[in-house]
Amino acid sequence: MKQAILGIILYGILCIPPLTNYMESIMIVHMLIQLPLLILVGWLIGKPILRKFQHFFANWNTNGVPGIILFIFITMYWMLPRAIDEAVSEWYIELFKFIGLPIIGLCIRDSWSKIQTLGRSFIFLNYLPMFGLMAWLYIDSPIQICNNYLESQQKVLGWGFLVITIWMVLYVIQAVFTDQSDHNTKKSTGT
Amino acid sequence: MNTTINNKEITSNNGLIATYLIVGGVIIGIMMIFGILMLLAQGGVLDFSPAAFYQFLTIHGTGMVGAAALAAAGVMWYFLSHYVELSKKVFKINLLLSIIGVVMVIIGVFSFKYASAWTFLYPLPALSGGAWGTTGALLYLIGMLILGVGFLLLYIDTGRAIIKKHGSLGKGLGWDVISGKRAEKDAPSPTVVASTMVTIVNTTALTAGAIVLIMNIINVINPAFTFDPLLAKNLTFAFGHIFANSIIYMGVIVVYEILPRYTNRPWKSNRPFLIAWTMSTAFTLVIYTHHMLMDSVMPKWMLIMGQVLSYANGLPVLVVTAYGALMIVYKSGIKWDMASGLAFMSMFGWVVGVVPAIVDATIVVNHVMHNTKWVPGHFHMYMGLGAAVMLFSFIYYLSKVDSDLKPNGLDKFGFVIYALGMISVSVGFLISGALSTPRRWATHFPEWMAPAVFGAIGGVLAVLALTIFIIHFIRYVQVRGKTGSDMNEKKLA
Repeated sequence: MKQAILGIILYGILCIPPLTNYMESIMIVHMLIQLPLLILVGWLIGKPILRKFQHFFANWNTNGVPGIILFIFITMYWMLPRAIDEAVSEWYIELFKFIGLPIIGLCIRDSWSKIQTLGRSFIFLNYLPMFGLMAWLYIDSPIQICNNYLESQQKVLGWGFLVITIWMVLYVIQAVFTDQSDHNTKKSTGT
Repeated sequence: MNTTINNKEITSNNGLIATYLIVGGVIIGIMMIFGILMLLAQGGVLDFSPAAFYQFLTIHGTGMVGAAALAAAGVMWYFLSHYVELSKKVFKINLLLSIIGVVMVIIGVFSFKYASAWTFLYPLPALSGGAWGTTGALLYLIGMLILGVGFLLLYIDTGRAIIKKHGSLGKGLGWDVISGKRAEKDAPSPTVVASTMVTIVNTTALTAGAIVLIMNIINVINPAFTFDPLLAKNLTFAFGHIFANSIIYMGVIVVYEILPRYTNRPWKSNRPFLIAWTMSTAFTLVIYTHHMLMDSVMPKWMLIMGQVLSYANGLPVLVVTAYGALMIVYKSGIKWDMASGLAFMSMFGWVVGVVPAIVDATIVVNHVMHNTKWVPGHFHMYMGLGAAVMLFSFIYYLSKVDSDLKPNGLDKFGFVIYALGMISVSVGFLISGALSTPRRWATHFPEWMAPAVFGAIGGVLAVLALTIFIIHFIRYVQVRGKTGSDMNEKKLA
């Protein structure tokens, strides 16, 4: 319950108009801080919702794949420059952002525990080149992509994506080269 | 450490393995025919349009690497499944996605005239000068992406299984044995070591490939989005070089598994062997820059690294494997047959085929030779006489242990004409290179034509031999499970 309250508080803070406006005025903050925080809101408030609608999620997200697909589609949409541009200009896209992202936060919480190691690795290794590509696109684009953000802001966002990509690469390297034997043993014995 | 998985389970997978090999083998055969057509056109024997030539060039390069990688993945999966628990479902998905990808590439090339060569070098897919349109480029690029997704899934699964069994990919490479924490007798088998290496390098290659493919797709859809061409070229070769190179590292598992069975001598993963594989893992990831030695805008240190590490990359594994193969066979009383003979021939192809590559990786030589047919001379020998022969060796091995089918005189004839054919193809290219014949040119001056025709004749011999090999394998598939399927993994010596 503590998590859910934290999630509601975080959502409330993110909805404060001056803060929303400020976050959306800086491209990197909009894309790489506000959007992930909205997903985090869904993840935090997810526990009691998932418990309450256990039957629904067991029926509609049995193996976690539908939830993951929804998560991928919506996050991919929000990686498009046009999406964040429209969120600033159009109220209904902004509304979609504030509703859609917490929902996929909920989905990822339900799905992540259901999909196997293979599925998790596949998702992770798909986001890795996707972020690498976004870094390249935003850093290298010779034109201003968004109406609301300057070219210089695009480049800063690109470097942000690059930092995330490097972090993801380092994470993969440590995950596959550190000994997982103990982890596997604990898992199989249920401890 | 080297626990063997249930034999019955392995035998039940043989049908799927055979499908991988047949799909791979048939595509390789068709690609060989395109190769012959191109050589005949260059030799002045056939006359077709340059546009058709470049379509053939595109499908030949892409299809050969894709099909050989598919068949090699089947071989790797077969032997690796003896040691770790792999997912059959993922193996099937990879086959399905590969077929979908190949079909898309074929439609893109032949129905929509896409002809950028396998390199799809940015910004060529979008700037064809009217030779092809958006649809062809998208079919090709998305087809490649789908192929990549299948292989990525496969390598995630092999990585997962190796980590589950051995604890980490480092342990899969035997780092704990190298550091002395574990005894050599407990080292992972050569198959696990090679599979770990391939898992690491190919996951990296596919990730790089995904970035550059999607980037090209964006550029094709909206050419206003432009990118740094040098970075695009780096990523393209990081993908293409590693992925193509990994075929031989998957194929060599055949040598590690078959020769010990024939000689009754184990192939041990000792410390030098493990160090060699670790070195090749690291170097394979970074030596792609030897494809870019003519790009003067590349940082100098990367080019020097490309030269030095290219020397260092091939040799460790090659030396331990070639030396190991000689030692394991020496005075062993081995009974030579198609499988063991082909396995041994593949070592010859690998050793000899790497020499022109090392020559070309030298910067001063590269500036003269890299855009000549010297380079196809290298990789036709390396792949055609090395990697592909490992796959054919496996074909005969599997049919021997999983049925009562015996190779006949025709198969032996196939062995001889394949060796002669591929040597002729490779030597034809190398001589062309020595004559400064440019590569990837649809038409040749008369002075350049003779080696091309010679190579084409060699190619015909190779196609005949491959047909014989495939017929043998199809005969095996027909009798599989009816005669002698219980002989799986019987003693061969």
